[in-house]
Amino acid sequence: MAYAARHEGLPAIRPPLMKRIADASAPYLYTAPALILIVTVMLVPLVLGISYAFRDIQLLNPFSGGFVGLDHFRALAQDQAFFRSLRNTLWWTGASVFLQFAFGLILALLLDKPFHGRAVAQALVFLPWAVPSFLAGLNWAWLFNPVVGPLPHWLFAMGIMSQPTNILSDPQLAMWGPIVANIWWGIPFFAITLLAALQAIPRDLYEAASIDGAGPLQRFLSITLPFLAPTIAITILLRTVWISNFADLIIVMTNGGPADRTQIVASYIFTQAFKRLDFGYASAIALVLLALLLAYSLLIVILRQWLLSKD
Amino acid sequence: MASIDIANIKKSYGTHPVLHDVDLKISDGEFVVLVGPSGCGKSTLLRMIAGLESVTGGEIRIAGRRVNDLAPKDRDIAMVFQSYALYPHMSVAKNMSYSLRLRKTAKDRIATVVAGAAAKLGLDPLLERRPRALSGGQRQRVAMGRAIVRQPKAFLFDEPLSNLDARLREQMRAEIKKLHKDLGATSIYVTHDQIEAMTLADRIVAMNGGVVQQVGSPLDLYDRPANLFVAGFIGSPGMNFFEGNYQAGEVQRFEMEDGNSIPLDAPPLSNNARVTLGIRPEHVVLAGHGPETLLATVDLVEPTGFGIILHLSLGGASFKAFTNDRSFLTASGTIPVRFPAHYLHFFDAEGRRV
Repeated sequence: MAYAARHEGLPAIRPPLMKRIADASAPYLYTAPALILIVTVMLVPLVLGISYAFRDIQLLNPFSGGFVGLDHFRALAQDQAFFRSLRNTLWWTGASVFLQFAFGLILALLLDKPFHGRAVAQALVFLPWAVPSFLAGLNWAWLFNPVVGPLPHWLFAMGIMSQPTNILSDPQLAMWGPIVANIWWGIPFFAITLLAALQAIPRDLYEAASIDGAGPLQRFLSITLPFLAPTIAITILLRTVWISNFADLIIVMTNGGPADRTQIVASYIFTQAFKRLDFGYASAIALVLLALLLAYSLLIVILRQWLLSKD
Repeated sequence: MASIDIANIKKSYGTHPVLHDVDLKISDGEFVVLVGPSGCGKSTLLRMIAGLESVTGGEIRIAGRRVNDLAPKDRDIAMVFQSYALYPHMSVAKNMSYSLRLRKTAKDRIATVVAGAAAKLGLDPLLERRPRALSGGQRQRVAMGRAIVRQPKAFLFDEPLSNLDARLREQMRAEIKKLHKDLGATSIYVTHDQIEAMTLADRIVAMNGGVVQQVGSPLDLYDRPANLFVAGFIGSPGMNFFEGNYQAGEVQRFEMEDGNSIPLDAPPLSNNARVTLGIRPEHVVLAGHGPETLLATVDLVEPTGFGIILHLSLGGASFKAFTNDRSFLTASGTIPVRFPAHYLHFFDAEGRRV
């Protein structure tokens, strides 16, 4: 400080060139390791995958690999199986996300109230999330199998089914199999995130509202929901993107069948790439799915911004 | 407006009792302050009146009606919280009208009532703002506005000024008092600040350890504290206490532990009884000569602007004296002090006033 003060009156001396270069490049050098890592792990595969969509890449055809322009997309526009899988994706994602959210919210509300053994219950609720999706799929496939699983017999005994058959082999009902498994598997995510948001709501707001004359339903509507809204928006966005990309359970439980009734876009991509070994076409489908999901995400982000700006 | 009767109220959490047989009658339009150190049960008592805590035993009546098992919303009371508990996602106007909207009050009626309360509290320009865009004092006003629009049977205040800085607290204290004068509403006010209690209350209820220590007007508690706790709690700087023995005889004397003794004009006590003598700092006379005068050592001089607090010691006992005489700013060494007999308080071995 004393040194600087003594030189205050003098004109600034221009530092040497090397020093100026070092100063200017310092921020880039500091960020370089992270940037290089991000580029190599994220951007390179992405660009490579996108480039496949415009090339003819079939593993079994050694002469493939040439540029085909928009041929894959033209074929896709005519592909009935793709449009059916798109409709199935909507159905699969919509039902899974909505029911996961609904049950997750109910569970979070139950766990928010203090009761004996709440800590244990909270830990147990998190358990399905820890089960590998592959195992969960197998487990549920067996539960639905009338030979080894109890579910068809229970449904039959309750009169819901006319006979104890495997719903996974029924074209009308097959989609419900993976959806049920997915709901079981995904509830913890909603329960835990919503519980965290619930516990951040100040208790005295509920007390003030109950003195102001609000009953349980009115307290839920005018305090709980507005406080949860941003969390709900962001978790639903995340889960929608994940679930529409999430083919594990379907591949394990039905493999897209019967008669393509459970084929979603993600599992269709998997089938094209790893069964028919047509990587070019699979990449083209993936690109379309990416565009759709980006558009959807943008919509939700805008919605969330609007919700937050209202406050 | 209504009276509130509290009879034999008990509260315990599990086996841990926090309130012991509290009895209190609050008449219509009265401003009662519950005061005591933290953990004395004053907030619990208020929350039981509001219906936010269950009643373990006894009875609470609001306007003659037993409310023990009534939900808070059915008790027709309004409460101002320490944290204000404003709804952050609602504008000031919406915050204030929430209770009326729940009751399905007509829109134009709500508008009039809210406008009236806003005018009274100086909130007109802020009605469309959200709580987070307000200062602490403004939030405090909104919380009061929310209570006023209801026109409830009683107002409950739970340490409403604790989160404000000293100057604002003083200002809001005056506004609450003025508001109570205007509305004449039955009010119960909880605070740990004895100045708030003294300035606001028609009647103070001093509590400690879940037990009511004394109920009375502010000056009652100040001039005739019922026990050592009240004597020490009310007043700032606090009352001075000296341990010692009462000596009967031709001249009654109070003998301190260090051998100093004061002639006094005491209430009837048994000879050689152990008593605690109390005197407020402003009643200590810093002059005199003769047998009643003692020599005290000056330890510290604290000028407050308004006056001077002298920290003194007498043998082993230290005590404080308050004076407006600025010549004591330079006091040092020993000075003569006198404890006028008619300003002395006596407490027996159990701490009760004698």
